[in-house]
Amino acid sequence: MRAAELRAGVLRGKGLPDRVVRLGVTGLSRAGKTVFITNLVANLLARGRMPALSAADRIEAVYLHPQPDMTLPRFAYEEHLAAMTGDDPHWPHSTRAVSELRLSFRMRGRGVLGRVLGPQVVHLDIVDYPGEWLLDLGLLDKSYEDWSHSVLDRLSKRPEGAGYLALARAEDGSLPLDDPKATALAQAFTAYLHAARQAGLADCTPGRFLLPGDLAGSPALTFAPLPKPARLPKGCQWAAMQARFEAYKTHIVRPFFRTHFARIDRQIVLVDVMEAVHRGPTALEDLRRTMAEVLLAFRPGRRGWLDRIMGTKRIDRILFAATKADHLHHRQHPNLTALTEALLDEAKARADFAGAETVALSLASLRCTVEDEIARDGMVLDAVRGRLADGRRIALYPGELPSDPARLLAPARAGAPRWLNADYALMAFEPARFAARAGCGPPHMRLDRAAEFLVGDLL
Amino acid sequence: MVPHLEDPLKAPAMVEVDGAFDPGAEVFADLPEAPMMEAVAKGARRNSAFGRFAAWVFGLLFALVLAVQAWRFVTGLWAATPWLGYVALGLLVLALGVAAVQAAREGLAFVRLSQLDGIRQAALRAHATADLAQARNVVARLDRLYAPRPTMAAARAKLAQSQADVFDADTVLRLTEEALILPLDALARAEVMTATRQVAVVTALIPLALADVVAALLANLRMIRRLAEIYGGRASTLGSWRLLRKVFVSLLATGAVALTDDLIGSFAGGGILARLSRRFGEGVVNGALTARVGLAAMEICRPLPFVVAKRPGVSATVAQALAGLVSRKPKASALS
Repeated sequence: MRAAELRAGVLRGKGLPDRVVRLGVTGLSRAGKTVFITNLVANLLARGRMPALSAADRIEAVYLHPQPDMTLPRFAYEEHLAAMTGDDPHWPHSTRAVSELRLSFRMRGRGVLGRVLGPQVVHLDIVDYPGEWLLDLGLLDKSYEDWSHSVLDRLSKRPEGAGYLALARAEDGSLPLDDPKATALAQAFTAYLHAARQAGLADCTPGRFLLPGDLAGSPALTFAPLPKPARLPKGCQWAAMQARFEAYKTHIVRPFFRTHFARIDRQIVLVDVMEAVHRGPTALEDLRRTMAEVLLAFRPGRRGWLDRIMGTKRIDRILFAATKADHLHHRQHPNLTALTEALLDEAKARADFAGAETVALSLASLRCTVEDEIARDGMVLDAVRGRLADGRRIALYPGELPSDPARLLAPARAGAPRWLNADYALMAFEPARFAARAGCGPPHMRLDRAAEFLVGDLL
Repeated sequence: MVPHLEDPLKAPAMVEVDGAFDPGAEVFADLPEAPMMEAVAKGARRNSAFGRFAAWVFGLLFALVLAVQAWRFVTGLWAATPWLGYVALGLLVLALGVAAVQAAREGLAFVRLSQLDGIRQAALRAHATADLAQARNVVARLDRLYAPRPTMAAARAKLAQSQADVFDADTVLRLTEEALILPLDALARAEVMTATRQVAVVTALIPLALADVVAALLANLRMIRRLAEIYGGRASTLGSWRLLRKVFVSLLATGAVALTDDLIGSFAGGGILARLSRRFGEGVVNGALTARVGLAAMEICRPLPFVVAKRPGVSATVAQALAGLVSRKPKASALS
């Protein structure tokens, strides 16, 4: 007893410092970041459904710790969990601000040394934020000219963009800046962004236009893409917009990236692949390009001994996860995983080359379906059964994903208007009620594998 | 215009063909079915048709001779003293019945053994193809196999519960190995170590030549039989012999390697001991051989391949077994 106290005292005095692991959850809006974080935390607190987490038997206790960052709100874990598991379960509301959570594990040590040193504490820090803001990371190495050019180019191909495009074409960038006009332009552009997001398009930059928070109306948020005029007189509208674009990058995007992403150890990239496939080739290609741009901002790589001494952080493991795998029968999961892997191939190859470990996975953060069968024309289709928002229960066979992802990615890249020889239906299933089991969190698919890959070796 | 060719067969030709084709199709999609040792076993010359015919003829002849002899024996007794004939007839019927029962039991034991083999093959295939349905099938078969054991009920219940949340073949098999097979591994290892110790002691202490050989053989047979029982086989004499044969085939397949890597330590250690006492040195070497046989038998009887657990090494097992000889606590170390 006394020896144990002495040992604890020594450790507290000299300190085996607690280890901190920062998990970066990246995903566009509606990819399911909040649900992922909530159910991951719930299943780490009650580990009955985490058989693939090998460190689970060494966990002595888990505790939702007060978070370290004094300026950020706490992730509303209890509220989100109540929404998902209540009497009338529903998805949590979309995230509108940054919030943080710290989960602390007390781990029993491994081997003889572990027994001598006693339990060690590992903190897992997770940040939740609006997915819209993630898009801005793609802006970091773009100039105003490039950005305007690419946005206007894309607008011309989309019906939602016609209104703003006419406005921008009519504008002469070489005229002096007129603030009310700039505001009107920014509002028109914001209206386009909302429409584009409604249509399921992924690349809606700048993200703060959609969710401005208390920055609404500030000059850094009052700009819009304009074609470059032939002449650029001093103080002209185009130059002013350029300055505001740069200010947006320096004062909004960079600090956001620096505080939340520059120091992460492990990263999970959540992608709603099924939704994009359902919406068609354009949406899939859009998703592919956007994710490739966003992921360029991160610095993957193996952590060397020098990194460890200097304390520099590198992302040494990245998990690319297709969410909503419960909308598909498990037989199709390998195809979904292959598609995800091919979709994010650029980022994956870059991370692999830099020496980081990458894995692709199909997961369902909260499992809300069970597997079912549908008989059709003497054939049996592997389907899933779930609950819709209006209370109906349906069995759904969403269509067959090809085992070769190129069957989908090649037409998407070529700009095909619709899938050839394939059709996909998808329903928005609501969370289902489930009977709670002692010591188990809410049901999921492969969250345990995700946790094992992301933090299993650090616990 | 087509130029005239001396040999019309060399003219170019073009025909439209039906049917899809796939240049990227996997040609070697099928997995090799048998592991190496069985390939070796099968490689051993299969009996020719004539050989089988000869065996059939001799077998039939032998059976005929036996039957006729028995019949003569009984009828002869009958003629001499009728009541003795009745007794002989009764005994003969009884003997036939016992033989039939014994044969059935041996057959059942063979079936059980091949069942273990089949489960392992299915598990290997499920691993390679990541086929969830097949992996679940393997678990169901194992579950049926171990259903009669009350000691494993808790582990089976826990496994059934955790399996519902798993959608990957490798995780299913890993969980199964952890829940069902690892506890059996501990028992099997303890069994191997007991036999190792026995053989080492017997070789060192029995002064008669050949007596120690017989004792070692019996200990080995007993060990193999126990191992088969632990993993779900059924104890039987013929089954044990057959297993022993399989074990030796597997030893032959891997033997050359084994002698160079993990037995060398035992031989060297035996060498030092042999300087002190020749018989003790021999004991250590015989013990090491027994351990090697036991571990090979373990691998043959184990219904799942070694994935979570590492294949136990000979040196470590021998060292632990002989350390247990001194400290007298072999079970505790085996289960830790």
